Amino acid sequence: MNHILNGPVTRVALCSGLALVLLPLVTGSASMSIEIVVFATAVLGANLLLGFTGLMSFAQGAFFGVGAYVAGLLRVEVDAGMLAVIVASGLAGAVASAVVGWISIRRQGIYFVMLTLAFAQLFYFLAYAFPGITGGENGLQGVSRPSLALGPFEIAPVTSNTGYYIFAASLFLILSMAVARVIHSPFGQVLLAIRENERRASATGYDVRVFKIIAFAIAGALAGIAGALQAMFVGLASISNVEILMSQEILMMSIIGGANSLAGALVGSGFVVAVSSVLSTWWPRWLLLLGLILMVVVLYFPGGLVGAARSLVARLKSGRPAPSSKGGLR
Amino acid sequence: MKRRKFLGAAGSSVAVACYSQWLHAQTNGVLIVDVLPFSGPLAGIGRLSDMGAKIALSERQQRAGSLQVERMVLDSEGNPARAVRKVIEAMEQRKAVLFTGEVISAAALSISKEVAKVGGVYITAVGADEVTGADCSTSTFRYSVPTFGAIEQTVRPLAKAMPQAKRWYTITPQVVFGEGMLANAKRVFQELGIEHVGNTYHSLQDREFSGFLTNASAARPDVLLLLNYAGQLQACIRQAANFGLKGRVTLLAAWTTGLYEYHALGADLMEGVYTGAQYWHTLDTPGNRNFVKQSAVMFKETPDHSMALAYSCTRLLLDGIERAKGADPAAIIRSLEGYKYEGVTGEEEVRAFDHQVMKAYYLLKGKSKSQMKDKDDFVDVVSGGKSFVDEKSSLCKRQ
Amino acid sequence: MTVYLFQALNGVGLGMIYFLIAAGLSIVFGLLHFVNFAHGAFYMLGAYFCLQALRMGLDFWTALWLVPLVVGGLALLLERVLVRRTYRMAHMYQILITLGLGLVIQEICIIVWGTEALNVSPPESLSSVVFFGDFGYPSYRLFVISLATMLTFVLWLALEKTRLGALLRAGSQSVEMVALLGVNVSVLFAFAFAFSAGLAAVGGVLAAPLRGAEPFMAQEALSIAFVAVVIGGMGRYSGALVASILIGLTQSLMSSLWPMGANLMIFAAAAAILVFRPNGLMGRV
Repeated sequence: MNHILNGPVTRVALCSGLALVLLPLVTGSASMSIEIVVFATAVLGANLLLGFTGLMSFAQGAFFGVGAYVAGLLRVEVDAGMLAVIVASGLAGAVASAVVGWISIRRQGIYFVMLTLAFAQLFYFLAYAFPGITGGENGLQGVSRPSLALGPFEIAPVTSNTGYYIFAASLFLILSMAVARVIHSPFGQVLLAIRENERRASATGYDVRVFKIIAFAIAGALAGIAGALQAMFVGLASISNVEILMSQEILMMSIIGGANSLAGALVGSGFVVAVSSVLSTWWPRWLLLLGLILMVVVLYFPGGLVGAARSLVARLKSGRPAPSSKGGLR
Repeated sequence: MKRRKFLGAAGSSVAVACYSQWLHAQTNGVLIVDVLPFSGPLAGIGRLSDMGAKIALSERQQRAGSLQVERMVLDSEGNPARAVRKVIEAMEQRKAVLFTGEVISAAALSISKEVAKVGGVYITAVGADEVTGADCSTSTFRYSVPTFGAIEQTVRPLAKAMPQAKRWYTITPQVVFGEGMLANAKRVFQELGIEHVGNTYHSLQDREFSGFLTNASAARPDVLLLLNYAGQLQACIRQAANFGLKGRVTLLAAWTTGLYEYHALGADLMEGVYTGAQYWHTLDTPGNRNFVKQSAVMFKETPDHSMALAYSCTRLLLDGIERAKGADPAAIIRSLEGYKYEGVTGEEEVRAFDHQVMKAYYLLKGKSKSQMKDKDDFVDVVSGGKSFVDEKSSLCKRQ
Repeated sequence: MTVYLFQALNGVGLGMIYFLIAAGLSIVFGLLHFVNFAHGAFYMLGAYFCLQALRMGLDFWTALWLVPLVVGGLALLLERVLVRRTYRMAHMYQILITLGLGLVIQEICIIVWGTEALNVSPPESLSSVVFFGDFGYPSYRLFVISLATMLTFVLWLALEKTRLGALLRAGSQSVEMVALLGVNVSVLFAFAFAFSAGLAAVGGVLAAPLRGAEPFMAQEALSIAFVAVVIGGMGRYSGALVASILIGLTQSLMSSLWPMGANLMIFAAAAAILVFRPNGLMGRV
């Protein structure tokens, strides 16, 4: 019991929990906070793949979209309950991602990235090809939020924005803790080993492919759930979810926040959403600044904002230059 | 040092981002919210629409009757989900209930639903039929003419002017909107005894139309009816001209976005090409004369299609506020139903059952460069009129 | 029958322009092992600078050689200032940096030229239509095909017969060997990068009268170029040529058979090749 309370999972729970409580107060907007949490969920998956397993996938957006469509269909056609919707979109995302992963991991490096890109494009064309299911360019409209109830007792009034935020934030918290648990397990250790030196990991007897596919599945599930959350929030499963731009945005949030840190998901998502929201009111060309920020981060802050913050803290503590912010468990 | 500075900048920018939201807490009078794409691929249309809306406000000194009006602008970034999120945020932060704008149909449809939830008012000019069709709602009003009117007011007059042109070929984008245009076109073809010699679908990503045009050419049509729009339409016209189709086949582009497209393509390309348009700046109506003058004074620009649509939407909302003497959405809706007024296309009326504005749609014909009186005089307005689906056939089943 | 012939001709023409973009990408990846997600931006800058040159009163023929030089110079500057810092980074980070760079260039183009697509007219001498029976074919496109073919041949000659070409080819096998031969590798890299940008810019200039200049053409060009390079084999120029032409042909021919399917097929093919023949149709890396 003690071990669990002091462990990294608890640490993640406390830090994230605190951040999630403060978020709506700092941003002053429940809806912006909801968007931040939704993207953070997807970025959590991207971090698992990129930061911890060393796999850069351009397909996270596609699974986000898949989750949104599944959620939309379940709500519109079958009026499914919240639990069913979340589980189904997570599953759909996981399955789609596992398939893409299974094929993509046959290659490494740039070829792997290209494969994920090609699959992302495929999903995009598929979405247009079946307008009966996806609504085509109009998207899937009329996605309502199911109430969160156990019998006659309503757990949370999700129809209000604050209520929905509490729900989404709680879900994100649970998912973060789950991912933290995965990272700090033997499974997670293998993922890190794969990131550092794949051949050595394989030589130690691990079936590297299986581990990668599972990582893909988890990331896909997270993206799918994020998509479902978004669809139920805005009432729309939009086709722009499956555009390459969405995957690019998720990757940018991952890098800017810090891909090898779980906290980076919330930080990266929060930073990009908040800053772009404000910048867009001042200057329509805010994408330029975002591009510059991305370049600066990759060049000088490979650990993202979280990594930079950590080295700053370490430097202040010890008064000596901080150790590299890459590598190791966070 | 660099790192700390960067971190400081990052941290403070987030803080500023959020606190600046709080600064907007005051409402001066009535708040109207305009959702437009200022970044992303549709930014040009966003900019023009913004100008049109500004004209509508400035000609009434930022007032609707005796009430002061504040206009807040949201950047949809060309992303429907983001647009809806910002709308939800505006409703939450500023209790906004009066909305205009949007260019992408997916966003407009969703915003329409959100606005209906809070019982607000939303006036838009997007292209999807569903806005005043299957997805119509009490809160939403639409200014632009749907596909029915676009086809009726282009195919029929052209067919009448060219009775010997019996073979028509269509090029259609394979999206919901394109299917709507095609269905209407087929219906009119059948009524007029026109032989529909073929149709080619294409996707929204296509930029290379030479293959489709060669196909079309092989069917030897008299008229090539282009049902696509924006960048794809421009590519089609440009490539049709490049391949020598222009001289041998009559081109009709049923859905265009106005003056800036003509500037992009040039008079030489557009000579002899027929287009359908929601608006043209040479329309001789009191409403338009006034609008063009205002545009010249405020922006020194000839108004284009997006400006006119946004102007009309904003004006309609302001009229509604004035007539209802307040910002109460229910009262505004009541005051707008059946409202007849002098708009840029002449007399315009808000139809009560589906909240569609009955306005004209025009058939334009490109002039040759030598006939142009000024740099914007690209076309002769061949005809214009109002065609709308009647209540019986409409998919809108409100109340 | 003539229809299909024409489609094929279109396809070849398209393919040649794709090749100009893909060739540069292939050189850069083969030699520098650098993944440039901003490569499409050079193509776009080629189109925009061509537009600007025409607006400033220069004629198309001048633009055809001047613009690639300007873009090449710009690329050289970028290489010195930014790109060379990333050679040692993992491919992932190169992708991310060039992604950011591509965004920055795209937005700068919007600031200067606006968001709408702008028309570029082909030169007067090439504005006519050549008629084969009932079907017209623009003389400009015939010119594009011929010029691109000639350039391809010149490129092949340069790579196979000149010392510089030998260095580029050797360098993509082993940079260490080339360095041991006493060649200044950093100069070679800089030249290769600038040259590839210049090639893409030629593609842009040629494409401008066909497509106009618009800020999102970079993305489109990049996707196709990457697919061409992947299908043909990274670092294999002849492979990129064959692949580009195949892509062009597929796009054109499919437009008669199954318009929606063209792009789908191309990406599915790319995925299949990546899986089953990772070295591409003709690659040997």
